[in-house]
Amino acid sequence: MQNALVPVKADATHDELIQLVSFNLDQEEYGVDVLKVREIIRMPVVTRVPNTPHYVEGVINLRGKVVPIISMRKKFGLIESENDKQTRIMVMDMDGELMGFIVDAVSEVIRISGSEIQPSPAMVAGGIDQECIAGVINQAERLLVLLNLEKMFSRDEKNMFTGM
Amino acid sequence: MPPIDCEDQELLDGFLAETTELLEKLDDDLITLEKDSDDTELMNRIFRSIHTIKGASSFLGFDLLVKVAHKTEDVLNRLRKGELVVTPEIMDVILEATDLVKILVSDIKAGDIQERETEGTINKLLPFLTVAAAAVVQPPLQPTTATEPVVTPPSVTPSSEPAAAPEAVADSAPSQPPGAAPLPVPKPAADAPKKTAPPPKPVQGKGGGDDLSDNTTVRVDVKRLDDLMNQVGELVLERNRMIQINQDLQQNEVNRVDFNEDFGKLTKRMSFVTSELQMQVLKMRMLPVEKVFKKFPRIVRSMSRDLGKEVDLQIVGEETELDRSVVDEIGDPLIHLIRNAMDHGLETPEERLAAGKSRGGTLVLAAVHEGNQIIISIKDDGRGIDTERVGRKAIEKGLITEEQFTAMGQREVFDLLFLPGFSTKEKATDLSGRGVGMDVVKTNIKKLNGLIEIKSTKGAGSEFILRLPLTLAIIQSLLVEVVGEIYSIPLSSVLETIRVDQRKFHLIGGQEVLKLRDIVLPLIRLQKVFNVQPRGETEDFCYVVVVGAAEKRMGLVVTRLVGQQEVAIKSLGNYLANIPGIAGSTILGDGRVALIIDPVAMSEVFE
Repeated sequence: MQNALVPVKADATHDELIQLVSFNLDQEEYGVDVLKVREIIRMPVVTRVPNTPHYVEGVINLRGKVVPIISMRKKFGLIESENDKQTRIMVMDMDGELMGFIVDAVSEVIRISGSEIQPSPAMVAGGIDQECIAGVINQAERLLVLLNLEKMFSRDEKNMFTGM
Repeated sequence: MPPIDCEDQELLDGFLAETTELLEKLDDDLITLEKDSDDTELMNRIFRSIHTIKGASSFLGFDLLVKVAHKTEDVLNRLRKGELVVTPEIMDVILEATDLVKILVSDIKAGDIQERETEGTINKLLPFLTVAAAAVVQPPLQPTTATEPVVTPPSVTPSSEPAAAPEAVADSAPSQPPGAAPLPVPKPAADAPKKTAPPPKPVQGKGGGDDLSDNTTVRVDVKRLDDLMNQVGELVLERNRMIQINQDLQQNEVNRVDFNEDFGKLTKRMSFVTSELQMQVLKMRMLPVEKVFKKFPRIVRSMSRDLGKEVDLQIVGEETELDRSVVDEIGDPLIHLIRNAMDHGLETPEERLAAGKSRGGTLVLAAVHEGNQIIISIKDDGRGIDTERVGRKAIEKGLITEEQFTAMGQREVFDLLFLPGFSTKEKATDLSGRGVGMDVVKTNIKKLNGLIEIKSTKGAGSEFILRLPLTLAIIQSLLVEVVGEIYSIPLSSVLETIRVDQRKFHLIGGQEVLKLRDIVLPLIRLQKVFNVQPRGETEDFCYVVVVGAAEKRMGLVVTRLVGQQEVAIKSLGNYLANIPGIAGSTILGDGRVALIIDPVAMSEVFE
């Protein structure tokens, strides 16, 4: 389990298999390590939390636990869209804390070998921070951006969350 | 006797729990003894405690501890037999020895047995064993073979003791410098490792062993546990009933009317059982406030000796129970308030006599339940707060202007005391005067969602009243609506709610205020603070929830009051931990999350 994570982080030349959950955001496909995903749920009622960054959608009640919800579209500076039947919240384990991310749709779990992960091209368009892109997976039919969400919040943002 | 190599953890745990408990009581008992030295029952109890500690530690091979306990016991024994009379000097030494025992015990607890310098304290005890030459003190009962060489008979003169002692320490200490085999008899030709043993560390400052008490385990009354089991049994019954009702419903075997009735009954019983259960569990978390209070006689004693004041500390209602979380937090603020009362409030005996009062001052520390709050008050009959002097000092420090001061009522002047850095003392002393104390009090009380009130009459004394919630985990709250969004306000901070016409609000320097009877209440519009999007036209009438945070009062403007509900506090997690004005969240009956407003932070937003 531990080993599966190593190639993503350290060097991507190993041939170990890793599993990714792939999801869609504004027509692009992204992937995150399956071990970080706790569960995938439909949109519940979200309670707005005042005075937070704009991409914090609010909090939800996940079986008695209060979990903050982040809008991926807002966070990545994409055009906002209406929630529909496909909209899902991916509840992820972020350094021991649960956090939910709103995505357009979750498609599947895929297996890839570590060697398929290429470093991301130098210029990535859109508002996605370079920081949290762990690599790109270029397969025949698809292009998948591998995200490391734990890096999504820069130090400043974390401070903003906790130091406000 | 070979020291137990502590593999028998259970035995060790038992020893630590027992010793800790005994030591906690010991301090208090010793202080009481000083006041009432004729109480033989008390004397015997103290003697027994220290004797038990000595016995148990010698059994486990904690020789250092045995030595200190043994000497203390000897002195106590002489007191008990009437060979010595209780004097403050003896008490000082015994208390010092008790402190040392505490330090040693906490060393053992930390699993890090160090060689500590015990001779200083022991030497102080020795004179009390040798004076009144007559007595030959026999170590009562317990043959402590291992320490025999150390326990120098009192006939040895104190002067020769220090020379002999260090060697004995190295020999008999069970601590583990590598290779130092525990030897029952000190050999003069001590092997090398012993010599290289680290030099005994100096005993840490007074009260270093104060934090012995362990907060990881709870002792629960068996009766309470039985009650709890009963309640759980009932809950199981109700659950079965619920399953039954659900089954019947699924199979369409009931008609609507019957179902409604059954379900209604079930709901009532369920809510009864759960609230009983909640109370039971809450009670288990409760600790008597005595746990905090019993430290104080000791503190007051040493302070009154330092200050040269005569103080009679009276403790009332120490059996009052409150939640562990609260107990852990109130210690510090209370110490500050007691210090203040002793240093600023109470006068010296001469001043008191001159003012026509009795020589000794009285300090009353009281705890009492009131609804779902606990009220702790610290009352002294000292000189009271001089509002004039407080005001002048505040002006001098540039905290307020002359005009502001003249406009201030007594209440506002008292509030000045809580400003950080404020002190009426010209010079800071060891005890107080740096202007930190009241700020600490305010911060801690705020953290607990508590309120502070000051009552004071010049020349007759002051009273500080703390109102604290019983628990921090489940609170009574007032649900309010702010333009469609539901928020929850801890009921403990709500003083009153009023329905007012918005046209009655006044504007002072850009700040909306409301004239409420004789006070001018600053208003905070939650809609603005929380950036709630307005919907439709605003109504003329709205509700104002008057809340208090520590010493402050303010009014929160809301659209509608929803009702009162008991809610369990849920944290928002690390990422959203510090949102201004929000203390946490809770889950409502319909499964939605509602945010809990933090009146304390609100007051700061407003500042």
